[in-house]
Amino acid sequence: MDIKKTQEDRKLTIALAGRLDSNSAPQLEAELKESLVDINDLVLDFAELVYLSSAGLRVILAAQKQMNKQGRMVIVKVNETIMEIFEITGFAEILTIER
Amino acid sequence: MEFRLKNELEEIRLLAEAIELWGEENGIPGKTLFQLNLALDELLTNTITYGYPEGGEHEIMLRLIPEGEKELLIEIRDDGLAFNPLEVKAPDLKQDIEERPIGGLGIHLVRQMLDELEYRRENGQNILLMRKKY
Repeated sequence: MDIKKTQEDRKLTIALAGRLDSNSAPQLEAELKESLVDINDLVLDFAELVYLSSAGLRVILAAQKQMNKQGRMVIVKVNETIMEIFEITGFAEILTIER
Repeated sequence: MEFRLKNELEEIRLLAEAIELWGEENGIPGKTLFQLNLALDELLTNTITYGYPEGGEHEIMLRLIPEGEKELLIEIRDDGLAFNPLEVKAPDLKQDIEERPIGGLGIHLVRQMLDELEYRRENGQNILLMRKKY
C-alpha cells in the first residue's frame, strides 16, 4: 500500500493506494499516530484503494474516534466495493463518507 | 486448485492473486472473487496471528473446487490452535461509535461473504468447509 500525505495548515489529506489489510494496516496506524497531532481536519482519499479488510476497518475506526475529539474526519472517493464493506459492518453510519 | 501457504501474513496477498488468476480463467465473476478473498483473508489472518503462539513455520492448505454450475467449495486445513469461527459472537452493528470495540468484525465479514460454513477439528487440525454461490 502507498500512503501519500498533503498538509495545509491543520488540514491533512491522506491518499491510500492499494490494499489496506492485516499486512499494511500497521503502516497506516503508525503514520496516523505520527501525523494527527494538531490536525483538526483529516481527509482520507480512497480513490486508489482497491481492498479493505477488518484490520483496516480497525485503524479507520480508531482514527475516527480520535478525530471526533480534535476536529473532523471525512472519507472521500469511496468505490462501490469498499462502500459495501462499510455498509455490511455498520461503518457507513458512524463515518462521514463522501463518494 | 490447491494452494499451500506458510503462516505469514504476506502469504495472504499471494493467495488472493492466485485465486484471482484462477477465477478469471474459470469465468468466475470479479465480485465473487473479491468476496471470497476477503473471507479467506479474515480467516487466515486469524489463524496466522493467533493460531501458532509457539511460533515456527507451519503450512496451511487450501483447496478450491467448482461445484455444479455456480458454486465454489472451499476447504482450509491448518494445524494451529483449535478455533471454531462459528462460535464467535456477532458484533452489535448498531452501537454508538464511542462504544464500538475496535475489532470483532472479521468473522462477521466472513459470514456475510460466504453462503455456508462448517467447522470440525480432526487429528489436531482445524478443518473449515465453505460454500460460495455466484
